[in-house]
This record gives sequence, C-alpha cells and structure tokens, in this order.
Amino acid sequence: MSHHEARLVKCFRAVFAGLSDEQIRHANSTNVEGWDSVATVTLITLVEEEFGVEIDADDLEGFGSFDSLLAHLS
Amino acid sequence: MKLIEALNIISEISGAEAQPFRVALVSGFTPLHLQTFLHAELGQLFPVHRVEVTTGSYGDLTGTLENLNTNELDAVAVVLEWSDLDPRLGIRQLGGWSPGDLGSILERASIYLEHVGSLMEKISRSLPMVISLPALPLVPIFLTAGWQSSDLELQLKGEIATFAAGVAQLDHVKLVNADRLDRASPPHSRFNAKSEWSTGFPYQLSHASALAHLLATLICNPLPKKGLITDLDNTLWNGIVGEVGADGVFWDQDHHSAPYGFYQQMLKALAEEGVLIAGASKNEPLTVAEAFNRPDLILPKESLTALEVSWRSKAEAVSRILKLWNVGADSVVFVDDSALELAEVKLTHPEMECLLFPYDDPQAIYELVWKLRDRFGRESISQEDRLRSHSIGSRAESGQRSEENGAGFSDALLESAEAEVTVSLRKDANDARALELINKTNQFNLNGKRITEAAWGKYLREPNTFMLTVSYKDRFGSLGKIAVMTGRVDESCVSVDTWVMSCRAFARRIEHQCLKAVFETLRKDQIVFDYAKTSRNGPITTFFSELLKEKPESNVTISRELFSANCPTLFHRVLELNNESPRSSLSEMF
Repeated sequence: MSHHEARLVKCFRAVFAGLSDEQIRHANSTNVEGWDSVATVTLITLVEEEFGVEIDADDLEGFGSFDSLLAHLS
Repeated sequence: MKLIEALNIISEISGAEAQPFRVALVSGFTPLHLQTFLHAELGQLFPVHRVEVTTGSYGDLTGTLENLNTNELDAVAVVLEWSDLDPRLGIRQLGGWSPGDLGSILERASIYLEHVGSLMEKISRSLPMVISLPALPLVPIFLTAGWQSSDLELQLKGEIATFAAGVAQLDHVKLVNADRLDRASPPHSRFNAKSEWSTGFPYQLSHASALAHLLATLICNPLPKKGLITDLDNTLWNGIVGEVGADGVFWDQDHHSAPYGFYQQMLKALAEEGVLIAGASKNEPLTVAEAFNRPDLILPKESLTALEVSWRSKAEAVSRILKLWNVGADSVVFVDDSALELAEVKLTHPEMECLLFPYDDPQAIYELVWKLRDRFGRESISQEDRLRSHSIGSRAESGQRSEENGAGFSDALLESAEAEVTVSLRKDANDARALELINKTNQFNLNGKRITEAAWGKYLREPNTFMLTVSYKDRFGSLGKIAVMTGRVDESCVSVDTWVMSCRAFARRIEHQCLKAVFETLRKDQIVFDYAKTSRNGPITTFFSELLKEKPESNVTISRELFSANCPTLFHRVLELNNESPRSSLSEMF
C-alpha cells in the first residue's frame, strides 16, 4: 500500500467507521451505507486537511469512490 | 483538534449502553464540522455518557429554539452569527446593500435579538444554555472603508453587547468569552467563504475546533479548585529571603519585581474569593515571619490558612497542608519556581496540578496568573466560599483535626459548642451550592455519583423526590451549607440516592442529625441508601460501619430502631430554614 493510499484509508476509516481496509479500497457512494452528501463534504474536508490540498467544490461529484480520490491525490 | 482526531474520538467513545447526554446545537448555518468537534469535545469531557448532539433547520435559529424538546435534552448550545440577525449580514443571500436600507438592518437586528432573548429566557428555566455571540467579521456592507469603524456597525455591536449583558443575567446561561475565543482563534482566520458558499458552513476548521472546545467547556462547567500552595522565594517575592533578609526581597516596580506583586495580587483576590491559600518554603521560620511582617506585602499573612516553613521536603510540607485542609490533592494547585520541587511534590501527590513559576519570564508569569484564574474561576462568591478560609483558619489555630485524622470531638466540647443545625427540605434546582457539594465532595459521599445541572433539575422535578440541605454554625463560627441528601419517598421507605457532607463538617454528628431529620419528617421506618464504596469515601463507610456494626455492602438499610439504638447524643439546636424558629421536629413541614 502506498503512503498516499494508507493516508487515504485513514480518512475513509474516520468517516466510515467499521469498514475494513479491503472494503475501503473498494468503497464508492453506492456500496457504502451512510455515504451521503454530508459524508462527502466531511470526507473531502478531511482529505484537504490531511493532504494539504484544496479540492474545488465543482469537482465534489467526481469523487464518488476511493479510487477516484486516490487518483486525484496521486 | 484536527477533524480526523474528532471523528476518531467519536467512533471510539460511542458506547451504546451508556446513559445519554443530549445537547442541542442551535445555529442558523449548517453546523457540519462544528457538530463533529462539539461531539468529540463533549465525549472527552463526559466519558461515562453516550453523547448525542442534535441540530436544527438551516437558516431558522429561532424556529429551532421554539421547537426544542427540553425534556429530551441535557443542554443547549446556541451559536449566533450576524446573518441570523439579518440575512443581508451574510454572503449567501443577496438582499441588497442599498445605503438607504442600512438603517433597517439595525432595526431588524434589535427586534430579532429581543425575540431570541425571550426564547432563551424561557428555555433556560429548565435547561443549561451556553451561547456564542457573532464571531465572524461583518461583511463590507457599511459605507466606510475597512480601516474605519462605521457608526452603524458600532451600533449593531452595541445591540449585541446589550443583548449579551441581558442574557448573561439569566440563571443557567453562560456566554463564551470573546477574548478567549480571540486567543484560540484569531478573528481574521475564522471565515471560510468557499465553504459558506458551497455548503452553508462558514467556519474554518481551526475556528470550529476552538469554538467547540469553549462551548463544551462551558457545558461541562468544570468545578473550581479549592486550594493553592505557593513557594515563597523567587515565587511570592523576588529574592531568597534567607540570603538577602526580609528587607531584601521585593515585589514592586522600583525593584524590577512587579510580576511578583501581580502574582501576589491574584493570590490575595483568590483568598478573598474563598480559595484556600498556603505557603510552603524551605527556610528559617523566623526569617519568613519577618518578611510576612512587612506592611507593604500585597498578600498579607492573614490571607494564608497555612504556612509550612522548615528545611524538610516540600512534599512533606504539602502533605501537612492537605491534612489540615482535609481536601484531596486533585483539588489543589502547587506553584514553585523549582522544577525539582515540583517533580518531588508530583511524585508524592500525582493528582495535584503542579505549575512552574517562571520567575525569569514576565510574559509567562502573566500567562500563569491567567491559568490560575481558569483553575479557580467561579460565577459568584457564595457564603460558603467566604466562610471556608475562616473555618480552616480557626481549626488550624485551635489544633482541631477532623474525624478522619483522629477521634471525634468529646461530648463536653460538642455540648459547649452551642451548635445550630439548619435543615431545609425545600427542593431548589437553583441551589448552586447544593449541586456544587454533590459534584465536589469525595470523602463523605454515598456513592461518588456526579450529576449534571440538567439532570439535577429533572430529578428534583419528579414528584416523589426530596432534597434535604443542612447548614451549620457554632460558637466557633459558621460553616454555611455543608450537607445535601436527595432521594425518593415511597409507601414503605425512603430511598437515598445522594448524600454528601463537606469534610469541614466532620466529627460534629451532623450526619446523625441528617438521619434524624429524615426519620422525623418523612415518617418512614426505613431508609435505604444507594451506597457504593469508592476509592475515597472512607468517612461515610466508617459512619455506616459504626451504625450497622459491620462493614456496609451496597444498598445499606437503616431502620428507625437501629438508628435510635446507635445514635450518639446530639447537642444541636435544630432550626428550619424558612423562619429560623427553633423546632424539635420538622414534621409540620409535611
């Protein structure tokens, strides 16, 4: 697991408590219970805080999965 | 606190079986991360509870207040922002900033604040409420350039100040200190325009975290410490008195020692507020006595309830002071300029907060004095606060010691003490002293249970509950209100849920008088106590052991016969609180 991936897993684990690392790596807004708009905003804010990046509000809808966020951060 | 830390705290603390502690977070904006931070902060402050933070509708602060179900809540946190007063003071609603309309903002704000104030007055009758006033910068709506204050802006802030002064007078209402918020969260870095426009959450994370911390601290309302023990040389005064003599130590501007005077001034104020102050120093007693005879000392010797001066260890001196005060180490702060002495005291008394006096850093001394205000801060000075130092001082002078430290007082002394016990059975949820006793007392404490302000009010509103408070005075002085008992009365017996008595009142048979009052007034033949042994409630365990003639288990039952057979002679004159008339029995009150 890359450094970026491990840090992103931590962010997901904080928002979606109870998911295993494996579930997190396959997580998207359709297969995770509780992934609603509030969870999206929380997750993106967390990623901004943890990675020191700024994510454009217009891009929020494009980050509907672990993979898409990881790709953006990489 | 970072957002990830807050989320992790929440996931770790959410014990489904714990008793809930429900807080309504009321704001006109989307509370989002503020809710998360507040949840995490409260979770840390109320570790035995399952904290729940509920929120209301966006843009409808007053509607949320109007619809609060106060019976389901333990506290309310209201976070006001300028846009609540008038949407034109925010950035999301484009109501227009025409110069001709600006006056109406002031008018509207005034009406709005009056309405909010009346809602707060109503809610705070049954719930503790904490309030944060508008903390974001105002939008550039006024005519003046940003470096000039506009008269309208000042009037608007004046409206808020008037509103705040009004609600601060209400019982159970506490306001976030704006200066403290400024220190924790600089005003220029609070607002998050991007977040406000995209989600309706106007705060930077750092501000949300700082504000949540202060709101949670206000809701928790930590109890003030009881005592402070200070070193003398290079702490209370500048210099080592054993080397330079009593006339060679200073605390004034002329001798570049003003920070020491500033520290003394704080200790004097604390002493007058009822905090126990003591000195502990490795010195020759006579030399220190000479220094305390100086008339220019800001903290006079009379403000100290103890002065331990010898060449023995500081830890020993501190132990002797604690024994005299009969308080736990966790209620006391120790201040010394020597890190080694602090470490030694900390080793002996791990629960004591030990603070370094930074004698070579004036700014740090200023910060230390602020830290002391935080540790000993209180809303008002009660009669008991005023009496505490005096009664400890009297005890020190007469060489008396509490029951825990030896045998109780003799019958002859108790009889000659002309003691008066005032018993009240008035249920008063606003009796702050009673709640303070329950939440501060460790030794004579039935089960160590603490209670929140809201739970206390709810409990007393239940029809079958009772509340008994006891005040005491004798010819040596008054101790004020020193005991509280609460419980329930049913057909067959009295069940006692809470019973505490201040350690200052030990050995006077006041606990026996409490039981006698319960038997006489509530007219039941049995009292069942929700007793639980704690690490510190030895005195009440001893009391039950003496009555029962065996070690108490949980749910101690004491019958009228047992009590009568084992109750020692009581010499108190018993008064009823309301008319102060002597009564041998309180039965007429029921």
